[in-house]
Amino acid sequence: MEWCLFVAPLPLFLALVYALPLLGVVGWSLTDPEPGFGNYQKIFTDPAILGIFWRTLRLCLIVSLVSLALAYLIAYHWVFGPPLRQRLIEICVLIPFWISVLIRAFGWIIVLRNRGLVNGWLTDLGLISEPLSMVRNEFGVVIGMVHFMAPYAIFPLVATMRQIDPRVMSAARGLGAGPVRRFVEVFFPLSMPGVIGAFFIVFIFSLGFFITPAILGGGRVVMVAEYVFLQMSQTANWGLGAALSVVLLALVTVLIWVLLKITRVEKLVN
Amino acid sequence: MDSRFQKDCMELLVEETGKGRIGRRDFVKAMSALLAVPLVLRSKMAYSAADRLVICNWGGDAIKAYAEAFGKAFTEATGIPVRIDGAGPTEGAIQAQYESGNVTWDVVDADAFTSLTLGRKGMMEPIDYSIVDKAAVREGGAHEYGAASYFFSYVLAYDTEAYGDNPPKSWADFFDAEAFPGKRTMYKWMVGNLEAALIADGVKPEELYPLDVDRAFEKLKAFLPHVVSFWGSGAASQQLLMEGEAQMGLVWNTRAMVMERDTEGRIAFAFDGGLLNASSWAVIKGNPAGPKTAMEFIASAQDPEQQVTLLKLLGNGPANPAAAALVPDELKKYDCTQPDNVAVQHMLDAEWYADNYGATLDKFLTLISS
Repeated sequence: MEWCLFVAPLPLFLALVYALPLLGVVGWSLTDPEPGFGNYQKIFTDPAILGIFWRTLRLCLIVSLVSLALAYLIAYHWVFGPPLRQRLIEICVLIPFWISVLIRAFGWIIVLRNRGLVNGWLTDLGLISEPLSMVRNEFGVVIGMVHFMAPYAIFPLVATMRQIDPRVMSAARGLGAGPVRRFVEVFFPLSMPGVIGAFFIVFIFSLGFFITPAILGGGRVVMVAEYVFLQMSQTANWGLGAALSVVLLALVTVLIWVLLKITRVEKLVN
Repeated sequence: MDSRFQKDCMELLVEETGKGRIGRRDFVKAMSALLAVPLVLRSKMAYSAADRLVICNWGGDAIKAYAEAFGKAFTEATGIPVRIDGAGPTEGAIQAQYESGNVTWDVVDADAFTSLTLGRKGMMEPIDYSIVDKAAVREGGAHEYGAASYFFSYVLAYDTEAYGDNPPKSWADFFDAEAFPGKRTMYKWMVGNLEAALIADGVKPEELYPLDVDRAFEKLKAFLPHVVSFWGSGAASQQLLMEGEAQMGLVWNTRAMVMERDTEGRIAFAFDGGLLNASSWAVIKGNPAGPKTAMEFIASAQDPEQQVTLLKLLGNGPANPAAAALVPDELKKYDCTQPDNVAVQHMLDAEWYADNYGATLDKFLTLISS
């Protein structure tokens, strides 16, 4: 039982730096400005707050689906493409992955704004006469978030696809299945754990997004994280901010629990 | 509100110095005016004994470096060491200090209504007007829990190339997208927007308060398609207008001045209809150096000459009425507190904001993001 001595400090450490402050936050949510469930009641009845929650969930869902579709395509080519393509994808996925979220957001502004690169090209080509509004709105936020989240979807998909036994595909071919049928009936179902994992990971990460919507949303796309910040720092409404954090945390916990139930996470991080 | 304007002054100063427009010596002067430490050095006041004085402002490495130098000098003069904390006195941060019982800031620079809001919660010291000279604070700047350090204004700035001989002159013009086509930018944290909308909708400026929030929201809602972006920082407002993303903006007068100069007049602005606001020195209850030392510090920061220096470099309007006469002629058009300019502007009501800011801001954000 000697190992206990070495492991014991770890839970203690976690309790001190994680559980205690968390309890404090829960405490705020139930006591500020007055004891009771008033803050939670407000969250579930105030149309303004519900609106922000729905927008957050809706945007996270869109971001997750778009990221997933893109990531599936990219992961497939990463795993099965010719070596040169594999290298290229590796570079294109990994390099932006390490670039600061702030820089990426401003980069997208330069590319997408009214007098930006894309609108400039489209105008020069005579395809549009009025600039398209591609940024400082939800569209811009989705692009920025997908750009940030796509790698998080690609990695688990690649891990899952690599684990699919190529002999199964050969067997399907041997039994006479065409390429479409092989994909729909064999490959795709086998890649489902990756799809589910990628979806949950992107969705959970997206819930906490703050900087990207703040910059690319033109001040107009307020999501839950920024709203919590607002309550804590701008209007010093700590009870409500804490309650919102607790709701968000509960949501994430449930999502992670579901994820653990339906898929084996260690396979995704292979 | 969390003193975003105050933070912007620091950023602007650093930017201008970077461009070489403000010399090193003037940079030091402006920083000292913002932090008001050298005033303490010059004044001949008798200071109460204190271990040290901590002033919280809106930081950055450059400030800390200079502050250290001032701090040392101040220590030599008064025996009280000074530390400048650049952490940023947000409303939440001040409340955190007070509630934890571990106050480390003696004087903070905040919006008038922030100090009022926190003062009413019992977290701020009332300003001691037997030490701070109330007569040296411009009308509308002296409140129970805050004394103005300088004034600034929300003004209409526009792109002269877009409007030529027929520039927008009022908030009515700003909200008239038919007569004045082009994109607009407004302030994300609401202040000034509601007043502008109501004035544009025909409310008499002297009858603005209490604000008819619903009416302002109606006006804004119909106008949203013309707003390309709500700016959250002074730099963003400048970028939007300079790069032609917006042709008109409700912006801070300090940024408007810089834009006018940088574009050689392509971006112009006027004080007509401008919405005046004050920045306040305020003292957290239980401050370590004691309220008396903090009040004496605020009193020393009322020096008119130093306030004019700040105007020269950044465009902040002096809070001391005695400073108006010291302003050089060529700068008068940029001074939001010159009598001619005050006459055409309207003062924001800190009392209204102290009572309503948080709840209304929530609704405002819902409105603009719907």
